[in-house]
Amino acid sequence: MAITLRGGHARPLLILFALLAFSAPAFAQIDITGSWGSRLHEDWMERCCGRDLGDYTGIGINDEARAKALSWDASQNSLRERQCLLFSPWTGQFQPQGVRIWSEVDAAGEIVAWKLSGNIQKDVVTIWMDGRPHPSPNAFHDFSGFTTGRWEGDTLVAQTTHMKTAILRRSNGIPKSDLATAAVYITRHDDLLTIVTIEEDPVYLAEPLFISRTYQLDPRGNQGFWEPCWAVTEIPRLEGSGIVPNYLPGENPNRTYIAETYAIPQEAAMGYAETLYPEFRKKLRGMYKAPDACGRYCCGWLPVGGGSVNPAPTLSCNDTGEGKTVAESGK
Amino acid sequence: MKRPLVVALAVGLLWCGAAARAHHSFAATYDETKTIKIEGKLVQFLFRNPHSFVHVMAPDDKGQMQRWAVEWGGTGVLGAQGVNRETLKPGDVVIITGPPGRNPADFRMRMVTLLRPSDGFGWGTKAGETFD
Repeated sequence: MAITLRGGHARPLLILFALLAFSAPAFAQIDITGSWGSRLHEDWMERCCGRDLGDYTGIGINDEARAKALSWDASQNSLRERQCLLFSPWTGQFQPQGVRIWSEVDAAGEIVAWKLSGNIQKDVVTIWMDGRPHPSPNAFHDFSGFTTGRWEGDTLVAQTTHMKTAILRRSNGIPKSDLATAAVYITRHDDLLTIVTIEEDPVYLAEPLFISRTYQLDPRGNQGFWEPCWAVTEIPRLEGSGIVPNYLPGENPNRTYIAETYAIPQEAAMGYAETLYPEFRKKLRGMYKAPDACGRYCCGWLPVGGGSVNPAPTLSCNDTGEGKTVAESGK
Repeated sequence: MKRPLVVALAVGLLWCGAAARAHHSFAATYDETKTIKIEGKLVQFLFRNPHSFVHVMAPDDKGQMQRWAVEWGGTGVLGAQGVNRETLKPGDVVIITGPPGRNPADFRMRMVTLLRPSDGFGWGTKAGETFD
C-alpha cells in the first residue's frame, strides 16, 4: 500500500524519517570489538614493570591500607596456591597486556553484553547491557565482579561491584577490599580506546582512584581470550615450608626508600590523601632532588637485553655492569 | 555422606575467600639497580604461564651451592622469540645475568641474559629478547 503525503506536512516528515534512518540505534552506538594493544609509553612505570616497594605516591590510601601494603612481600606471588589466582576486574589498567573485547547478542541480534579479557589469569569481565539490576550486596563475589553498562553518547559507561579482595594496585601490595566499586568509561576514538576507571573503596581508599589508560587497535595483537596458568615450585625454599613471605610492622626495609631516593617527605611516598592536592607541591619546593644516576626506567630495566635505546640520554645509568659472578662481586 | 559435603563447602569457602593476585612488579620483586651473574648446571626448566622459571645449581656469594630460581617470560612471549619447552635441558651448563631478588634468602633472579657455552645458544642480547 502506498502512502501519499500531501500539503505542508510532507517536507518536515520526510526530513524526520531521513534523520531517523541515519541515526544510530540507542545502544551499541560504537563498535568496540577487537584486539586492543597496550601502549606502554603511557605511564610506563605503572603499565610495564611496576613500582618500588613502598611507593604509594599519587594514590590516596588510609592507614589500614598503608599497614597492609607495608606488610606485603612480593614473593607471596610465588606461593603455589597464589600463583594462578585470577586478577580483579580492571587490573589491566596497571598491567602491560592489552585487552580483547567482543560482544554477545540475543536471538534478535541485539547486544546484551560486552566481554573483556585477553590475559593470563584475567577472568572475563561481562558488561551487561540489558538493564538487569546489580544483585544483593550479599551475593557471591567472584573474580570478574558484576558489571552493568549503558551508552552515554559515544561512551560506554559501566559500574562494577561484587569484586573480590585483592592485592593489586601498582603491584606493590596496596590492597583492595570486596566493598570496592568501579565506575568505568570506555570511549573509542578511531583506532584508540580510552578506558577510565574511578574506583572507590570504603575500606582502603581515602580518595577515589582515577586511572586513564589508552589502548590501540591491533589486529595482529592477537590478545587471547584466555590463557592457562600452571602452579609450580617457583621458589624452592617456599615449597612445603609453610612460610608466607611478609614484613612485620615497622620492619619493612623499603619503607623509606622512595623518600630517601628522591628527597621527598615520607608522607608523599606513603600516599596520604593531602599529597594528592596541588597545595602539597609547596611542601616539595626546594626539597626534591633527582637522583644522580638513573637505575631503571630510563636505561636500566632493559639495559642489557633487547638492545633498547636509552630514552633519557642525559641521565647516566646506574648499571652495575656484568662480568662478575655473585661470589666475585660479594653481593 | 555428610563429610564430603562439609569438605566441599570448606574448600569452596576457602577458594571464594582467596584474594585476587597481581602481575609481578619487577621493581618490587627484584633489586633492579644491581646485576649479578651465576654459572651452574640447570636442574629444571619450567616453561609455563604466567612466567617461566629456570632452576640452576650455582654458588652464592659465600661459595655455597644454592638452587637459584630465575624468572623468565611466559610461554607466549618466549614462544614468539623461538624458545620452547625443549630449548633447555637438565644438565645444561648455563651462565645467567640479571637483577637479584630483594630477599637474599629466596635465591631468585630475573632473567636478563642467558648463555649456554656448549653450543653458544643465547638469549637476551638481541633486539626484542625481553619479557614483561
